[in-house]
Amino acid sequence: MKLTLAHRRALQGLMFITPWLMGFALFIADPFIRSFQLTFHKVEMMDGFSLAWVGYANYVEAFTIDIDFVPQLLRVLRNMVVELPVIMVFALVVAYLTNQKIRGRTLFRAVFFLPVVIASGLVIQQLNSQGVGTIIDQSATSGMTGIDLTDLLYQYLPEFMATSVAQVINRLQLVLWRSGIQILLFLAGLQGISTTLYEAAKVDGATEWELFWKVTLPNLSPVILVNAIYTVVDSFTDALNPMLNLIRNRAFSGQFRLGYAAALGWVYFAVIFLIILLIWGTSKKWVFYGGERN
Amino acid sequence: MAKVIETIKMKTVDAPWFLIYRRKSENIFVRLLMYTMLINIAYIFLYPVFYMISTSMMTIDDFVDPAVYWIPRTVNWANFTMSLEAMRYWYSLGNSTYIALLSAVGQLVSCAMAGYGFGRIKFPGREFLFMLVIFTFIVPPQTIIVPLFILYKNLGWIDTYNPFVVPSFFAHGLRGSLFILIFRQFFRRQPWELEDAARVDGCGALRTFATIFLPLAKPALLVVFLFSVVWHWNDFYEPTMYLMKPDKYTVPLRLSILSTSLQEVMGGSNEFYNEPLVMAACFLVVLPPLLLYIFAQRHFTESVERTGLVD
Repeated sequence: MKLTLAHRRALQGLMFITPWLMGFALFIADPFIRSFQLTFHKVEMMDGFSLAWVGYANYVEAFTIDIDFVPQLLRVLRNMVVELPVIMVFALVVAYLTNQKIRGRTLFRAVFFLPVVIASGLVIQQLNSQGVGTIIDQSATSGMTGIDLTDLLYQYLPEFMATSVAQVINRLQLVLWRSGIQILLFLAGLQGISTTLYEAAKVDGATEWELFWKVTLPNLSPVILVNAIYTVVDSFTDALNPMLNLIRNRAFSGQFRLGYAAALGWVYFAVIFLIILLIWGTSKKWVFYGGERN
Repeated sequence: MAKVIETIKMKTVDAPWFLIYRRKSENIFVRLLMYTMLINIAYIFLYPVFYMISTSMMTIDDFVDPAVYWIPRTVNWANFTMSLEAMRYWYSLGNSTYIALLSAVGQLVSCAMAGYGFGRIKFPGREFLFMLVIFTFIVPPQTIIVPLFILYKNLGWIDTYNPFVVPSFFAHGLRGSLFILIFRQFFRRQPWELEDAARVDGCGALRTFATIFLPLAKPALLVVFLFSVVWHWNDFYEPTMYLMKPDKYTVPLRLSILSTSLQEVMGGSNEFYNEPLVMAACFLVVLPPLLLYIFAQRHFTESVERTGLVD
């Protein structure tokens, strides 16, 4: 049989993604659907696994009986709301600075990328427990001004926000340590902006300040979107994230409640999915795709 | 022309030298500000590393003494020798290396193939399948961990390294979707004439990929390899799920049972377990990826620029 060129290309394309497709079916799609089924069951483990239908009981328990789940989830969400802009602005500033023509910029870049390489979850936990995360707080408040920043926060912000902000400041060190990939992506984005745009704007008399807001930022907005999504996903799966331990403990320590843990995992996923949809949905308003005019 | 330039120079000289606004990066104040910021941020980033190194060499007396700051009175290597022994370092190093290298190789091959398929070849359903790649990226491991655990248990893969290595060869595993994305972006930037030329020369699709595109993709391969090795090395969520026997533990997992294994090694006494010793152990955990990074750093930063991670 003679195949047309288009057919042959299609087959070749499928051939290249076949390993991925098989892996997707086995390691993502199948467990994803199974875990959804599990959420409606009680899993009993004797020799093998046996399932007993319980309906919505696991979800009801998560929201009404479990005293840890909802508070933890809210805490994770609040922390993320505070951390996201901190990481984004910080990463953008660092990328902007290390993209200037200054001496030693490769060295600086190497330093800013270091945490990605050595930030092992357990090592970070140890550092955190020895108080390494609080270095900025100490020097900024007691050392230099003598003002207790935490007090100020509670004075001027509603309590639920103040708690999150104070928590983030308390481990600002380790929050900033999570911005390596974002710096990298911003840097690549900055280098991708065509110099002719800057030249044209300069000829029109734009200052550096205007260049940043009118040329750099709009051209960088697709990267901002990617980075925001990356940051959300990253912070939801971060080693210091208490939800990770909560779900694991419900599943594997003590009672071995796999069905219930699966339900928690699904609620967690639904929350992440909604947040990303939200970011994605608003992105049409603020992301500028310069290259897609024609 | 020369005269015009001369007059401009004369005019600007009237202002004091530090107020002359030439280019932003040449203005001395701006430069000072930028360096101050960069050095401060660099300090913030390096602080945990310095803390780790400095503390790891202290005795517990130095550690609690407020007069000792950064530099210990005596260098206490015992923290390292005890950690090496308690963590069975060289043995678990072998375990970690096995997982990290094999998974990285698997992800290199399979993600490069998938990235090529998604980036260079048009086939029906491509956009939809690519959405699934993105979807894979945002599904947290916690959501699917229970069925995966059951699957691996039924396959008899608990306490083996298959749960890390096998998915890697199918373009999954730790952040496989991110690697597919990197390769896709990279391949899309290559000139389209490459395939035409290869086809004219009678090159099949696989050979075109293997002999033309893979050699071109060195920067992307390097970036993905480094990421993959380092992330597999540092990973601890999945190893704690699938590895139960301490014999199979990776180096970071050894850190989690440091207290008890030190007690065993020291004959039941726990007087040696303290903050400096923990930092020594932490430093031993991060040392191999740190060395790898220092070694590959120059190529790495160059590669990132040439990979075109974002378009």
